Parts: sequence; C-alpha cells; structure tokens
Amino acid sequence: MSDIQHSTDDTIPFFPDHVKTEFYVVLGILAVVLIIAIAGFIKPVGLGEPADPLNTPLHVKPEWYFLSLYQILKKIPPMVLGIQGKTIGVVIPIVLVALVFVWPFIDSKADKSRRVYWIRLAFSIFAVVAIIALTIWGEVS
Amino acid sequence: MRFFSLKRFGMLFMLVIAVGLMVFITTHAQAISPPSSGGSGDPSSPDWTLSDVSSSPPQLIATPPPATQDTCSSCHILGQNKGLWTPLARWTLFGSLGLLFVFGVFRSASTWVTRSPWKPLTNRAVGWVDDRYKISEPLTKILKKPVPKYALHWWYCLGGITAFLFVVLGITGILLAFYYKPTPEAAYSSIQFIESQVYFGSAIRAIHHWCANAMIVMCVAHMLRVFIMGAYKRPRELNWLSGVLLLILTLVFGFTGYLLPWDQRAFWATTVGSEIAGAIPAIGNLALVLLRVGWNVTGDTLSRFYGLHVIIVPLATVAFMVTHFLMIRRQGIAKPL
Repeated sequence: MSDIQHSTDDTIPFFPDHVKTEFYVVLGILAVVLIIAIAGFIKPVGLGEPADPLNTPLHVKPEWYFLSLYQILKKIPPMVLGIQGKTIGVVIPIVLVALVFVWPFIDSKADKSRRVYWIRLAFSIFAVVAIIALTIWGEVS
Repeated sequence: MRFFSLKRFGMLFMLVIAVGLMVFITTHAQAISPPSSGGSGDPSSPDWTLSDVSSSPPQLIATPPPATQDTCSSCHILGQNKGLWTPLARWTLFGSLGLLFVFGVFRSASTWVTRSPWKPLTNRAVGWVDDRYKISEPLTKILKKPVPKYALHWWYCLGGITAFLFVVLGITGILLAFYYKPTPEAAYSSIQFIESQVYFGSAIRAIHHWCANAMIVMCVAHMLRVFIMGAYKRPRELNWLSGVLLLILTLVFGFTGYLLPWDQRAFWATTVGSEIAGAIPAIGNLALVLLRVGWNVTGDTLSRFYGLHVIIVPLATVAFMVTHFLMIRRQGIAKPL
C-alpha cells in the first residue's frame, strides 16, 4: 500500500486543517468566477454568424488547445515517403498520446535522483515551449 | 415510554398550535400588504390583493388573479418583471419568521415538559443517524487521516482546482441546459436568448466558457507537475492512466461543446475536426460516421454532440475522477525528492 510512513510531526489531520486550506483555495476560485461573471455582463462571450453549410469561411481554426496539433497537420507536406501527409499528421498525435498513456510502464525504474528530475523538468519546459510556439504560429497564420 | 404519554401529548399539542399560528401569520402576510390599483387596473402587475372588499361581505381570503389576466410565471425570465419578487420576498420573510416562531415554541414546550435542558438539533440528528448506522467511528477515522505537510505547497493544489472547476462547469452547464435547444433551427437563437434575455444568462455562459478553458490549462499544469516530480512511478501507474484518460475526456468536452452554439466557427471547426478523425488509418471512416452520424455535419451531429457533452462524457469523467481520488486516498500523496 502506502510507501510513506509519516511521523505525527510532519503531518496535519485531513479534517479540519487540510480541508480548511482547500476551502480557501475554493474561495479564491469563486472570487475569480465572480470576476468572470461581472466581465460576462459587460462583455458577453458572444456568437459568430449562424452556421451555413453552403458557405465555407476563409480561415477555419479549431479551439486554441487543438491549434498546435492542427498546425502540425497543416505544415506536413502532402506526400512523405509514399504515405499521405494527412495520415502521418493524424498518427503522430495518436502515437504521442499513447506514449504518454503508457509512460509509467516505460519509465518504471524507481529513480529519485536530482539528475533525472532536471532532465524531466528540461523536457517538460521544452515541450511546453514547443506547444506554445506552435499555437502562436497557428493563431497568427 | 408509552406512545400516548402526557409528555408526548403536550409537545404535540404545542406543535399543532405553533403550526396553526404559522399558517395564520403567513396567510395574513398577504392581507397586510398594500393593495395595488385594484382588480382590473394596471395589467403590468398581477392582482395579489384580496377579493373586492367593498362590494362583497368582507372575507379574509387571498384570491388568485382573474382568469383573463396573465399570471405570467415566466416574466422574470423574459425581463418583464410583473411583481413576482414581492410575494416571493414576503413569503420568505414571513415564512422564516414563522418557522423560527414554531421552533421557539417547540423548544420552550420541550424543555418545560421534559424538565431537561435543550439538546441542539444538530446533536439530535447526528445521534439519530449514528444510533442506526454507527458511522461516527469510521467517519472520524476517514476525516482525521494524516496528510503530510508538504501537500500544502501550491503546486499540489492544481488537481484540486481542476476538480473544483469541473464542479463549477457542471452547475453552470445544468443552468445553460435549461434554456439550450439542441436543434439546428433553435440552437443559435436559444443561445442568443440566453445571452440577451435570461437573467444572469450572459454571466453564466461566460463562467462556463472561461472555466472550461481554465480547466484545460489546470489539467495540463497538474499533469506537468506530476511528470516533473516523477509521481507517476510505481505504485501510482494506474493513477497516471486515469489522469491521462481524464485529460482526454476534458478535450472531448471541449470538442463537443464547441459545436453547440451552431455558428459558423463551430460548424466549420467540427467539420474540419471530424475530417481529421476520418484520416485515421483503418478506422477513419468509421470514426467519421460515428462522430457525424452520416457523411455530413447535420442536426444529427448536433444531437449526438449534445448527448456526448451533457450525458456520456460527464458520467465517464465522474467515474474516472472517483477512481482517481480513491487511489490517491489509498496510496497517499507521492513524496517529493
């Protein structure tokens, strides 16, 4: 079961101490929600033109969180090594997600060293920067 | 104690008197309200006054408005306020005062009849439940479980914030579903109606929209935190798996919810998105037809996305969240380096 044995000095009871902290976090979020509500009164989210299946707009863009994937898909040449570029652009994200999905079984060594921690941190920063760059590129293009 | 003891009878008697008093007060709260311009006067406010006292023998009964007059129970939604708040406020005020009075009478009667000090209602309720189900001991054990102090760092809050944002989205989503109509003819105008006519409609929609975006950010941030700290390692592999599934479900939430306004952007984003799903080798066409319900994005697609967005994906998300939390609870929070 648990691999951690705590002494009573470095723990707090779940209730009320930990719940109280969580409650303050919830209050903070609710304050933000209130600000969003006021902003929604002043400037509603709004709607575009009604959907028209016969009229394709010039720039079709997905939501921002799919924009990086969409940008990869757009920038792949139509034919790579005899395979359709579109297929590659779809398969790459699926393979990436599958890799993320099974990652704990690939990296299963119990390693608590600082060095591996820095490698993971650097890799995460690189991935985040790459995704943000692709998103911005997709947004302005 | 016999059932028809004097003690019980006395308390019951007092209770009946108190309830009678409450009914008397609340019904007469209407009688003391200022009369409006009369039965057939201003049509913009419903007739909450008594029946015409001058022409008929005085009777203290509040009558409903005449049948010809629109009682307009939806006027508060349409923005034409026809005095619905006044009776509501009146009932709330006098009703709660009445309940308070009943409680006071009951409490006095009880202490007088039983000759023992008053036991608070919360203690009684807790005692009643614990008497039957004996949950106080396991509940204490669950609630007093020690949590390590390092779990108070801000980066351990990200997952909890995601979960709370899901709750906020659930509540605002239910409120939006009261007015939203998932058909190609009515979807767009129902959202216009929500934005412009429904009380707090634009605020609720703004909360739903922005909290959905924030939830994705928080979800990814939580995942990065777990990855960087190596908290996915043995014995927490399944927690990582359920977390990745939750992130995918959140993205499905975003994808299906984006179509619902049925504007140009939504329609064509879904067209392109499902087309990309159609490019998956081997199962592409199957995925495309399952998403679109046919070869084109139509009203059937809208119905399917609505069903996914409000029923299937929420149920799956709640199920995975529960397993996620139970596993955390069982294993404790991973120790930092």
